[in-house]
Amino acid sequence: MRRVTLILREEVDPYLPIEAEAISPEILSKNIDVSVFVGNEKKKLKEVFDIRVDGEAAGPSATEIVMVGDCHQVKRVGEYMTNGRIIIEEDIGMHCGDFMDGGTIEIGGNAGDWLGREMLDGTIICHGNAGNYCGSGYRGGRKGVRGGELLVEGNVGDYCAECLFGGLVHVKGNAGIHAGCNMKGGKLLIEGDCLMPCGDMYAGEATIYGHVTDFLPTFRETGKVTESGHQLIVFNGDLANRNAKGTLRVGSFERI
Amino acid sequence: MDYIVKNAWVIDPVNKISGEKMDLYVSNGRITDEEPKGAEIIDAGGCLTLPGGIDSHTHICGTKVNFGRYMSPEDMRAGRAPRRKGMRAVSGYSIPTTYGNSYRYALMGYTTLTEGAMAPLEARHTHEEFRSTPLQDGLILTLFDGDWGVMRAIAAGDVKRAAALIAWRLNAVKGYGVKLTNPLGAELWSWGKNVDCIRKPIPYFDISPAEYIKGVIEANEMLGLPHSVHIHCNNLGKPGNYTCTIGTMGLVPDLNKKRQTAYMTHVQFHSYGGTGWKDFCSRAEPVTNYVNQHPQITMDMGQIMFGRTTTMTADGPMEFNLYRLHQDKWSNHDVEMETASGVIPVIYRRKNLVNSVMWSIGLELALLTKDPWHCLLTTDNPNGAPFVKYPEIIGLLMSKEYRDKEFATIHPKTESRVVLPALDRELTFDEIAVMTRAGQAKALGLLDLGKGHLGFGAEADIAIYPIKPDKIDPSKEYAEIIRSFAQTKYTMKLGVLISKEDQIMADNQNRTFWCSPKVPAKYDMSKDPELIHTFNRYYTIRMENYPVDEDYYLRKSMKIETETTL
Repeated sequence: MRRVTLILREEVDPYLPIEAEAISPEILSKNIDVSVFVGNEKKKLKEVFDIRVDGEAAGPSATEIVMVGDCHQVKRVGEYMTNGRIIIEEDIGMHCGDFMDGGTIEIGGNAGDWLGREMLDGTIICHGNAGNYCGSGYRGGRKGVRGGELLVEGNVGDYCAECLFGGLVHVKGNAGIHAGCNMKGGKLLIEGDCLMPCGDMYAGEATIYGHVTDFLPTFRETGKVTESGHQLIVFNGDLANRNAKGTLRVGSFERI
Repeated sequence: MDYIVKNAWVIDPVNKISGEKMDLYVSNGRITDEEPKGAEIIDAGGCLTLPGGIDSHTHICGTKVNFGRYMSPEDMRAGRAPRRKGMRAVSGYSIPTTYGNSYRYALMGYTTLTEGAMAPLEARHTHEEFRSTPLQDGLILTLFDGDWGVMRAIAAGDVKRAAALIAWRLNAVKGYGVKLTNPLGAELWSWGKNVDCIRKPIPYFDISPAEYIKGVIEANEMLGLPHSVHIHCNNLGKPGNYTCTIGTMGLVPDLNKKRQTAYMTHVQFHSYGGTGWKDFCSRAEPVTNYVNQHPQITMDMGQIMFGRTTTMTADGPMEFNLYRLHQDKWSNHDVEMETASGVIPVIYRRKNLVNSVMWSIGLELALLTKDPWHCLLTTDNPNGAPFVKYPEIIGLLMSKEYRDKEFATIHPKTESRVVLPALDRELTFDEIAVMTRAGQAKALGLLDLGKGHLGFGAEADIAIYPIKPDKIDPSKEYAEIIRSFAQTKYTMKLGVLISKEDQIMADNQNRTFWCSPKVPAKYDMSKDPELIHTFNRYYTIRMENYPVDEDYYLRKSMKIETETTL
């Protein structure tokens, strides 16, 4: 088991983005002498972080990366990771866990935009809030998240789980506008409220325990159901699509 | 800089040079017969040396291309390359950045590009994008498919007035030639309808597409333009449309000795048989038969290749039908009184019967046309496939073995609907040279300007491919052919080395060719009260703001004045 602890140095300008796709178990289990971009400057990872390495490396699956300090400007952490663990004690920047295909990311603070974008497998747990496009696809892409589990214990921004294709996106707080729009599969669960969800939904299951504002008129009511103590109204849609097979369950709603 | 290209295996169909080992002298951007002093020597090492490639129909600049970029951010995920010495960062696959287009064409040995359709009102945008396409000369065909003034003039039988209107507009927007996309379709599309082939008159104008096409062809010849009318026939992509295509070809008289009288573009999309998608089949044979017998017609293939791409055309209703088929994204645009357009992304699949038949038809057109001067190689980039697929098409045309191998991978029912498996013809290097540069130069009227050949006085556009034609058997070593046509050893444009292997060597070499017919004062439309009234009454901009400023929008303006018979 190898544990790599990265402590963000205090002299790093908090306004400069750090492009840190190198911070993933695949790369750091082999070599910690890698470089990252700070603004437009290429720097060694050890110039940006204080690095402590404990234990021997035995492949990415036995590697744990711990990030200490407010890393809100550190982007692309865990991009393309396939195994291992990343523990982030405080905030993390944009594009965390992009395209990840396995392993676990745990975030103690808040996450930036594009958390777990187009992830294929693995687990992301965020104890704080997440930004816009949490668990979504890339702009213009047809398939977003295709597998894995994404849990956000706080609130999320707009376009959560856009183009969801598989896996589970679970939000314990509220969501912004257009959660689950263009959904093509998978499961979306929002325990709080949201605004105008699931537009152009094609298939998949979306559940909203709270109240929906600006509910779209293109959903057909099909019945009622009780799930984990919540009375839910079931809809089929989005009927703007030719063969809409999506299921949307909401606690209460108010039409647009 | 002067150059001596040594040991070049030259194929130059215009000057009847078919594979001769010779030296080429380049001085002041032209080919000369005297050895220049102090010249740099490029050793071609017996490799295939051709005139610079010319694409006679491609969509690389203009508003609809940019709409494709807006609506497909996912396309920019492919083809990314970081900045290098002398090269900008590029991205995109089917609709790359302008620099991406320019670099990739240059690496393939292309030095001249023809933008297939420019809405006159959006000429500024098109010229600005051409400014940023640094390594190729640009020609821009201007859309006249729904021009109210020309339609009214031809409906009234006044072809001279139609010619004068065309001349005024070409001069104003700095266009090179006349393009008719789905003639009169744009006008009906603004009513939510489409024209049905060429015989039925459209309401309010009382003119049929056939009359319009004939009138515009006559007007084009009156103006003495270097290129003929460039026609995208009606009924694109509909089963059974080959009758309409042959009907349109039948309208074309033989009026010009130097070149064709009508250029039919992307004919693959117009050679379909059957009555519906269930009995959809190839009708490349009757179409090529007609072309073989009528030298006044030149066509291009419009080959499709399997994979992802973006379709974009001024044929708005056809794109709407495609959108209903795919149910994906769609962009549609109406350009005031001139034309329309539509853009959607598509994927051509091997497992799809219709796509497989379309793929076969393009190849059949090229193989069944006896004279390669009358069937040019294009993909209607990016509608059929991005232009980076040209080397693969060359491989398919030169090797029966490769065609059979590919044919085995497509939909099994294709065989009963096409004639491709029965065609044994394998094109030679000479024929490929005609189909990719010499034929284009002749069709576009560029031979007199020194393009498309390597004779003395010609512009020094030279492409040297890493292939020794005397030591290769294209029918067997097709993989080698594809690899070497994908990247030249050297590409030279007007005596400037623009690429060497995979490195771009130059910048800002582009020129824009445009036509300005010399019209007598009587037909000068800038003072015509009716045209001025049209602008004041119906256009969103004033007539004096309409013309494109030559100095500001064109990097290097090449004005071609033509003699008219008005």
